[in-house]
Parts: sequence; C-alpha cells; structure tokens
Amino acid sequence: MTLGLVLHLVVWHAYHGAEESAFEHATLAFETANPGVSVELVAVPFGAYSYKLEAAIPHGNGPDLFVGKSNGLQEWIDRGLIDAIDAEVDPSQFVSGTLPPLIHHQRLYGVPLAFKSVALFYRRDRITKPPRTTDELVAIAEREHAADRCGLAYEAASLSYHAAWLHGFGGRILDDNNQPALDSAEAARSIEFVRMLANRHLIAEEATGQLVTDLFNRGECAMAISGPWFLSDIEADVRFGVASLPIVSSTGKPAAPLSEIEALMLPARSKTHAAALNFALFLSGKDAARLRALEGRQTVATAATWQLDEIKNDPVLTAFYDQFKLAVPMSQSRALQASWEPGQRALRRVLRGDVDAKRALAGAQAEIVATLRPAPPPAAKLPFAISLFALGLALLWWRQRAQPEVAFRSQPVAYVYLAPAAVAMGVLVFVPFVVGAAMSLFDYDGVHATFVGWGNFGNILRARDTSLFSPLSFYFALLVTALWTVANVALHVAIGVALALLLRSPLLRLRGVYRALLIVPWAVPNYITALIWKGLFHKQFGAINALLKVCHLEPISWFAHFWTAFAANLATNVWLGFPFMMVVTLGALSRIPRELEEAAALDGASAWMRLRHIVLPLIRPALLPAVLIGAVWTFNMFNVVFLVSGGEPDGSTDILVSQAYRWAFQRGHQYGYAAAYAVLIFLLLVAQTAFGRRMSQKQAT
Amino acid sequence: MKPSLAIRISIHALLLAACAITLYPVAWVVKTAVTPRQSFSPSPNPWPSTWSLSNFRDVLGTHQGATWLFGRQLLNSLLVSASVTIVGVVLACGAAYALSRFRFIGRDFSLRGFLLSQMFPGVVTAIPLYILLDHLQLLNSLAGLVLVYSTTAIPFCVFMLKGYFDSLPHELEEAVLLDGGTHFDAFFRVILPLSRPALAVTALFSFLTAWNEFILAATFMSRPASYTLPVAMQNYVGDFSTEWGHFAAGAVLVSLPVMLLFFALEKHLIGGLTEGAVKG
Amino acid sequence: MPLRLCESARSMATVTLDGVGKDHGKAQILGSLSFEIADGELLVLVGPSGCGKSTLLRCIAGLDELSRGRILVDGRDVTQAAPRDRDLAMVFQNYALYPHLTVRENLAFGLKMRKMPAAEIAQRVNDVALLLGLETLLERTPQKLSGGQCQRVAIGRALVRTPKAFLFDEPLSNLDAALRTQMRVELKRLHQRLGATMIYVTHDQVEAMTLADRIAVLRQGVLQQLGTPTELYERPNNLFVARFLGTPEINVVDGKELMQKQFMATLPDRAVKVGIRPESIHFVADGKPARVDLLEQLGWESLVHLDCDGVRLVARVSANAPTVGATVGFKIDDRALHYFDRDEKRL
Ligand SMILES: Nc1ncnc2c1ncn2[C@@H]1O[C@H](COP(=O)(O)OP(=O)(O)O)[C@@H](O)[C@H]1O
Ligand SMILES: [Mg+2]
Repeated sequence: MTLGLVLHLVVWHAYHGAEESAFEHATLAFETANPGVSVELVAVPFGAYSYKLEAAIPHGNGPDLFVGKSNGLQEWIDRGLIDAIDAEVDPSQFVSGTLPPLIHHQRLYGVPLAFKSVALFYRRDRITKPPRTTDELVAIAEREHAADRCGLAYEAASLSYHAAWLHGFGGRILDDNNQPALDSAEAARSIEFVRMLANRHLIAEEATGQLVTDLFNRGECAMAISGPWFLSDIEADVRFGVASLPIVSSTGKPAAPLSEIEALMLPARSKTHAAALNFALFLSGKDAARLRALEGRQTVATAATWQLDEIKNDPVLTAFYDQFKLAVPMSQSRALQASWEPGQRALRRVLRGDVDAKRALAGAQAEIVATLRPAPPPAAKLPFAISLFALGLALLWWRQRAQPEVAFRSQPVAYVYLAPAAVAMGVLVFVPFVVGAAMSLFDYDGVHATFVGWGNFGNILRARDTSLFSPLSFYFALLVTALWTVANVALHVAIGVALALLLRSPLLRLRGVYRALLIVPWAVPNYITALIWKGLFHKQFGAINALLKVCHLEPISWFAHFWTAFAANLATNVWLGFPFMMVVTLGALSRIPRELEEAAALDGASAWMRLRHIVLPLIRPALLPAVLIGAVWTFNMFNVVFLVSGGEPDGSTDILVSQAYRWAFQRGHQYGYAAAYAVLIFLLLVAQTAFGRRMSQKQAT
Repeated sequence: MKPSLAIRISIHALLLAACAITLYPVAWVVKTAVTPRQSFSPSPNPWPSTWSLSNFRDVLGTHQGATWLFGRQLLNSLLVSASVTIVGVVLACGAAYALSRFRFIGRDFSLRGFLLSQMFPGVVTAIPLYILLDHLQLLNSLAGLVLVYSTTAIPFCVFMLKGYFDSLPHELEEAVLLDGGTHFDAFFRVILPLSRPALAVTALFSFLTAWNEFILAATFMSRPASYTLPVAMQNYVGDFSTEWGHFAAGAVLVSLPVMLLFFALEKHLIGGLTEGAVKG
Repeated sequence: MPLRLCESARSMATVTLDGVGKDHGKAQILGSLSFEIADGELLVLVGPSGCGKSTLLRCIAGLDELSRGRILVDGRDVTQAAPRDRDLAMVFQNYALYPHLTVRENLAFGLKMRKMPAAEIAQRVNDVALLLGLETLLERTPQKLSGGQCQRVAIGRALVRTPKAFLFDEPLSNLDAALRTQMRVELKRLHQRLGATMIYVTHDQVEAMTLADRIAVLRQGVLQQLGTPTELYERPNNLFVARFLGTPEINVVDGKELMQKQFMATLPDRAVKVGIRPESIHFVADGKPARVDLLEQLGWESLVHLDCDGVRLVARVSANAPTVGATVGFKIDDRALHYFDRDEKRL
C-alpha cells in the first residue's frame, strides 16, 4: 500500500489517565489490523470539549469521529452536529440498555463504547459486607460516626447523584413527556432522607469530587458513591469493593442511579463516515473492548466482553454491570440539562436547613419551568428597524450636543502609528462583537434563530422569569456585580500600593526576593489556585476553619451565607489581583524623584502627609489606566466566582457574567438570551466609565 | 534618610506576613505536585509529608509517537507568548504614542474603543471569533492564537503606555525634531528607551495573558502537538475526576518561566531612568 | 581649536517674521508680529510670563503651527517646513537633555541625525566640549550633572550643529542667581565670538538689557517696542515698556497730582501719567522736602524711598545716603521725564 492511499482519521476525546492510554492501545491495535488507515487521537480538555465541538463541526473543521455522551444527543441532533449511523448494527452485540439512549426517532446516533453510572464504593478494612438497604447503610454510618469518621461521602448536593435516592423513593426528575416533575412528594421524601443523613453527620459536608476522593483514600469515610472514573483515583494501597446502591428501606425499591452511554459519534459534514464507522466498530469489538475494560477500567458496552473469564471474575467491573441493570438512563431532553442547576440549589438549601424539602423543590420546579419557558414571540422587523433608527438618531443628537466640534489641524502621521493596532483590534474584536451583539436580537440556540427584536432585553429587564428580588434577577446580579467590582478594585489598589510602598526603599535587604515572592499569585494558573481557595474555605476540612478552631472560634459555613461566600470570592480575587497593582505601582513609584519627598520631609510633613499629598497624587496618573481596565476585568471576572462560590448560596453571589454564562451553557443553550445579557453588561460598563470620567474631570477642575 | 532599626524590622515583619499569606495557597500546589498521588487534600498543613518527583516525570515525559509532547508544547507556549509580547507591545507602543502625542480625527474614538473592547464578555464572542479565524485561515495555527491574545493584551498596554508617554516631557521629542530627526527618530531613539519600566510591565502582562489561557487555545487548536502548555495541563482535569498530582506538577512547571521572566525584567520594572530627564 | 567651530559657524542668517499670529481655539496668543532679526544679531524677546514668548519661539522653530503670517529664514519661506528643515537650534528652559544618553551622545545626537561622518562628529563634539568646559563630563549622563552643567550641555547641543540661528527659551531661569550672572556673561562672550544670529527669550529685564543687541517687548502677544536697550530705556513707547525695563522700576505718578502738589509747573497736553526714572531724582539742599521712608543699601549705591506730601518715589543715589526718617530736599531732572497719555502711550 502506498503512502498516498493511507486514510487519516482524526478522533476527539476527553479521556485522560488510564482510559486514555487504553484508548490509545486499542487504536494501535486497529492500525495494525488496518494498515491503510492511520488514526490520530486528540485529547481535548473537558472544559473546552463541547464548546469546541459546537464551534468546529458546523464549519467543517470537526474530527472524523468523536467520543460523546448520550445525554447530549438530542441537543446535538437538533443542532445538526451529528449524523445518524446508516449501517446495520447488531443489537445483540451490545449490553442491553446501551443502545436505546443513542436512538432518536428510530435512528442510531452512536456506537456505544461504555456505560457510566455511579455505584457504592466501600473500604474493605472498614466494612466486610456492603449495606443492602438504606437502614443497613445508616447503621454502618452511625458506627463510623461514633468512631469520629464519616460514614458516606458523595456529592450530596448534586442532582445527578441525588437522582439515585430520588428514584429509590419513587420520584423522577422528568415525567414521561419530558416535563420537569421535581415537585413530587416522593422527591421531597428523598431529600428529607438525605437531610436526615446530614443532620446526623453521616455524610461529609459540602462534598466535592475532590474531597470525596481524599476522604476515601485517607480512610476518613468508609463508603463513597461514585462512578468508574473513581477507580483511577483510589490509591493502590486501599482495599475496596464496589456494590450496587442499597434498597431504600421505606419503599423497598432500589436506589437507581442515572446512567449514560459513552459512544463514538459521527460529526455531520465529515466525508469519512464509512472508515470512521469501521474504526468505531473495531473499538466496540470484543478485543478492543477487553483492552479498554482491563487497562482503562471502563465498563464497556460490548456484550461479548462480559463473557470473558477475566472480566466476569472482576468483582469491581461486574458490580458496575449489575448496577447498570438497575440504573435509569438519562433523558436526552434539554429539560434534564435545565434541571441540574435548580435541583442542586434546592438540595443545598435543604441541606443547609434554610427551607423544607417541599418548598425547595417547588422553587426548583418553578425555576426549571422558567428556564424552559417559550422564547419571546417572533418580532416584526419593521417596527424594530424603526425603533433602532430612532435610537440611533437620539444617540447622534446627544453626542452632537455633548461635544461641539473643535476645529484643529489633524496630524496624519498619527495614523501610521495607530493603524496596526487599530486594524488588529477592529477585525478581531469588532467583528465578533457585532456578531455577538446581533445574536441578542434572536432566540438562538446555536442552530435555529428566530428574530425576536427587543424581546430578550424585555424579558431580562422586566425580570420576567424570576421575581425582581430573586438572586437570579438581572437587578440583583447587577447590585452584586457593582459591589464586587468596587470592593475588589479598592482592595487591589490598597494592598498593591501598600506593598509597593514597603518594597520601595532601596536600602531594604532582600527587596528582590520579596518582590519575586509577592507576584507568585499572578504567575500560577488561576484555575488551580481558585480551587485551592475553595478548599481553604471548606466548612469541615478547610484550613481557615481549622485556624478559627485553634483560636476557639466557631467554624463558619462559608458558602451558606451571602456575605461569607462573597468574602471568600473577594479574598480569592484580591489574592489573585494585587500583584498586578503592586507591579504597576512599583513602576510608577520609581519615577518619583526622592528629592520631592525629602523636601516635603524637611518642610515638616509627616510620613502620612507625604504619602497623601506627594506620593499618591504623583502615582495617580500611572495607576488610573490600570484601575480603569482593572475595573472592567473585575466586572467580567468569571473564573473566580464560578470556581470558588459557584454562585452559592442560591446563586446570590453570581455576577452578571456568570449569569450570562449559565444562560448560554447551563440553561439549555439560550445564546440569544446570554448575548442580550452581554450587551447589557457592555452598556453598563460604557455608562460606568463615562460617568467615572465625568467625575474625574469634575474633580480636576 | 536611612530608616531606624525599629521601622526596618516592622517593614520586614509586614513583608514576611504578606509573603506568608501569598504563598500559603501556593504551597498546596507544590505539596500536591510532590506528593506521588493524584488526589488533593486541603489540610491546614501545607508541608508535604512525602516527596517524590514522579508527577513531574509523568508530566515531562508525555510523548506522542516520537514527538516529545511536553517539549513541543512548551515550545509552542513560549513561541506564542513571546510573539504576543512582541506583537502586543509593538502595536500598543505605536498606538499609545499616537494617542499621547498627536491630535487627529478619531483620536477620542480610538482611545475609547480600546477600553470598550474589554467590556464585551467573552461568553458570546468566542464562537464568532472561531468563525472569523476559520475564514482567515488562521485556525490551528500559532499565528491565529497570537493575534487573538494580542487583542486582549493591546488595550491594556495602550493604556499603560499612553499614561507613561503622557508623563514624558514634550521637549524631549521637540529637541529631536530640531536636532534634525523625525517623529520616528524621536519615538525610537528617545521615547522608547526612556519607557523601559512601562514597557517591562506591559511585556510581563502580555506574556502572562498568553501564557495561562486555555479555553481559546483548546478551541482553536486541534493537534496535541500544536497545543500550548495550559491546554495540555487542562487535559488532566476530567469531567468527573482530575489527576491533581499531574495538574499541580504542570502548574508548577508552567509558573517557572514566568518567575524567570519576572527576574529578568525586574531591574527594568523599577528603573527610574527618567529621573533627571528634565530639571526644574 | 574652537576657532574652526567659529568659522564654520558663520553660516548665519536673518530671520524675518511677517504678520505672524497664533490662536489656540478662540484665544489669540500672538497678534500679528512683523520684524526682522538681522544676521549675527542677538535679539531678546522679553515680556511677562504668559505673554506668548515661548509660543513665538516655538513657531519660529516649527514646533507649533502658525495661524497666520509667514516666517522666513535667510529669505526662504519656511512657514510650512518641518523643524528639521529649518536648520535652527533651540535651548529649552528645562534643557530637555536625553536622559538615557551620555553628554557625549547628547552632543553628537543632532549630528548623527544629519548623517555626519563619525570622525567629524567626534571632532566637533570635542571642540564644543572644550569651548564650554565640558571635557571632563563627556561620559556622564544628565542625572549626574548639576544644573549649570546641564545648561552648558544644552547650549553645547545647539552649538555643535552650527545652525543658521539659535533660539533660547529662558535658558537661565532655572539657575541660581550667581550662576545666572556668570552664564549670562559667558553667553554674551559666546555670541561675540560666534557672531551668530540668536533669539533669546526671557522675562528677566536685566538679562534682556545686558545681553541684547536689540530687545523686543511683548505683551499679550502684541509687540510693544523693538529697539536697542538704550532706546527702549530712554524712549519707551508706552508705560508698559517703561515699567518693564529698569530696576528699580520707574516711578509713575499721576500728572494732575504732580501739578497740584507743585512738583512741576507745566504738564504737556494730554499727559496723564508721568514716569520718573529713579536716577533722575537728585538730592539738593534747596529742593522740595521729602521724608526718607526706607533705605535699601546696595553697597556702591542706595535706593532711597521718599514720601513727599503723600507721593511716593524711589531715588537711586550713589553716595551720601540720608538716614531713615530724615527730611531731604530733592529735585527732578526735567529732561528725563517721560509723559504718557490716557492710553499710556508716550507723548
Ligand atoms: N496648548 C495651549 N492651549 C491654549 N492656550 C495655550 C496653550 N499653550 C499656551 N497657551 C497660552 O498661551 C499663552 C502664551 O504662552 P507662552 O508662550 O508659554 O508664554 P511665555 O511668554 O510665558 O513663554 C499663555 O497665556 C498660555 O496660557
Ligand atoms: Mg515660556
């Protein structure tokens, strides 16, 4: 076979660790068996995965094949991102229950690779026999609690985990028509159950995946609820077992977790469907599946693999297999996606003891319905055009009035200096801006766009979806954002300037060392440090509460109250941001001649007066641009809010951008609505800076 | 004026406290990196109980076929960040000089435009940006990434530099003009050499903008060999589980060049060159 | 050695202003100025702060654009020419030395810009350094120079280029009094030696008087008078010029009051104000009596403040100063009186 005939396939996935290397080895086996095809595996960070698919596939830049999950299926089909598989696929080849989630309108949209659902992990050194009922589970947990450990660790506030209990108590997230059904008595009972566990300290508080892993590894909890991905997180010296979740004692029904199917999917517009399908079938074939199961510890969807002795005798994998039989497949509907966030909020509120289960669930139900509300009605274009035109005229008139033309001789050489930057900015910022802003006039989910005129703005500004005083309303978020910006900028400047002043003396020893150490927060990627800060603020295991305990103070549940959660966000962002101000100030300070201060000192000015009347006014011009831009960045600082408080409690610490993000990605891809948010954010910032400018001008005169 | 001993001691005490608070969270990154596990435990004690370089070995040793991925990605990151620094600072210098020194039609508009460009949240512009890069044939190329990052860096650099240029006396350039030079001579031979502290701040800033970004890089680049380091590091973060040990080791490795850069620039950051530029 | 510099510096030129005017927005900074600075002349532009001296100088240099009129250098219209093409050199009030360059590089900068061969640059820089006594400072940067040294370098930077004309914008105003006097002398000597065309801006009338071949007095952008120092001193065109030149300031007394109090018998028609130079008041035993109010001793001469029937006058006397409180007789030299009309114009 000549080189020219080699077919090249690109496959995207978000695997890492053992799953990734098993996937690679299976691919190597495929290439050996098919010398005419070469396969390139591209690991895309999970954080950018769906984003990248949505951007690339519609423009023909997608892969030939990608690993996707069944619960995103309907969305992807609607948006025309994936094609159905036209070839005959023998259903008996796959574990039963793995194909239906991939079928939509009688057509198959993926070759299943593995199924994923959570199950019960337990440490064998603590528990000989896993609990079969919730009563047994409670008993074991009580025993552990008596020994000052916690019984069970899992992400109790996450609806996807809680779903197991929900089903065990007879409740559902969505009804048969895919309508939200969270406000049932069964659901309330399931939450009361978890609340009971929490009140009796049987489950770890504020558990995140990372904390569950840590507790389980350190033996601080005997049981954990997690999925196959947890296997690679468990350390080698921990002896553990996996079992199905227990039967709910009061109903006699098993706690049934949600399950999803991982499958290889064919992106629309790719021209290599046949070859790609060939590869997909190979990977789901017996040998490749065996490799993935043994090396990657995947719970594979291939039926024949489960007949192999080495798999059959693997207690861990078979436990997942058994659990899968009881699991409830995740709906493909976008209603499910819209349920996660309200569900989580309701769970948190109940676990904190703020409201009872019924009220919390009713609230969640209303939120889900609100998120899924029909789009604003399509708008006629003519009235819109007229209103836009009028707006434009008004703006023009206002500017004309505000700034009478001053005649001056233009210096054309300026354009030579300005042009390169202006062109780059114009193309790469202005164009996306116009496109993004235009999006706000549509009801747009990524594919289907309906023109709605000012509809999105109307909904946001009239706070139609929520009450005016709800944390989810635009105005509440605006208030929080304003507070957030002011507090941050003030602290950034105060701390940055203070440290720069301390670092300033040329006689100070180790000056360079201090300076270098103090900019470290700026240098370390903020994704990881933000998470570390979140860990520091953990109620049960965080360092800050440990410190409070040392000082004989009550530990604080940081993310349970608005002000403490806000303070946690603030602390993180101030920590991240002060080095920048410090460096800017150092630069500015270095330009102040010493004599000026010395002269003032001789005039009898105290240190404070010298600072106030000489140093600060002199560094002000240099700091002003940094403050101005810093304010804009802080206004739009998404990462910290999202990673540290995550909007807790009840979304009240969310700022406008994180709200916009949630509308775009967590509440059923309402891009138009999110874009309207973005436009409003933009207008607010414009107004803010214009106002700020007027203020500083007034001050100057 | 040498401060008294008591003052010096209290300055050191304050700075030490500041350093301690600053480094406390960072200590966990280091602890997680040198602990040969993939879990991450925020206990009050940031001192590692075990030391091992295995995470660093794993992160450094990534290969794709014969390609040494880490090396390749480091090179990509360095190339992209260095280019962004150069492109960003160079373009911004010119723009800032024009805005600081010349009167021309559109001056006010451009000045505001640079600030306005930072105000539209990226949430909704990323996909249009993708489409644009696709049209410009710049997807999957480091050049595209450089351009995109530059547009984030430029406005800040323009503002910083304009502020700095504003504070330099006009007479310096006028002297050049009379000495027979052009505006360009004034700019390149006098203004730029004098602006080293501001240039250093903006260079550091531009570099960092590019160095730590991953969402856009992951969206625009589709080959592991063309990834930048943050994208590669982000690959250790999964949907449900994260290889914290690897991720932290990566974070430490990623931060090192920045620290080096800071050391290299620090002399200029604190320059004080313009003292005595003009007397009186 | 510096002789060569002097000789090559003889590429001098006239500078002609023809209706030069400048506005900032609606405000008129310079009216319409027309005069000529002759080849080799040292013209001093003098006037109170804010009267537009710097603006005029900058217009001549080409740093500011004219709103009206023309500027000619050596007969050539340079109104539209860039500063570099006018071949003028300027010394700024704050020196504007390039802070990042050494003295040598500062001096050489303009020559490099004009692409002069390196050997010639070195030669010229050395000549100028010798001329101005900068030999030992050549490798220093401006931060390490004193004010006077900076001043010399700034002058050197202008000299080294041998331009058609030199423009000085208050070059001595940042120096202390002693240094200022010394530099003033040096500048005068330099001018005599080079014979170069120079326009020198100052608000200090002593500087103007001592340095100038001719003085132009400016007030709010309008030329008040142009002439030699003696002309201006002895025949000021108006009260403003009279007041501006001479220390202590000329005594100005209301004409009517003088008549009433019988200082003098007659007053020319239309004379409203009378100017009396301090040196034209002489003490004579049979003069008009006045009380000595205050005495300023300057060593070889004294300023005597007199109060005569409510009229306050300052007299300059070279010897035999009376004591404070004493009553002396004085008389005014009639020929030295200056009369001004209602519009403060000279009669
Ligand atoms: N850019 C400007 N805009 C408006 N007015 C100016 C500007 N520059 C100078 N002026 C005004 O022009 C007048 C003359 O200034 P200048 O020539 O500097 O006076 P000086 O005689 O003290 O050197 C002053 O009243 C000053 O306020
Ligand atoms: Mg002046």
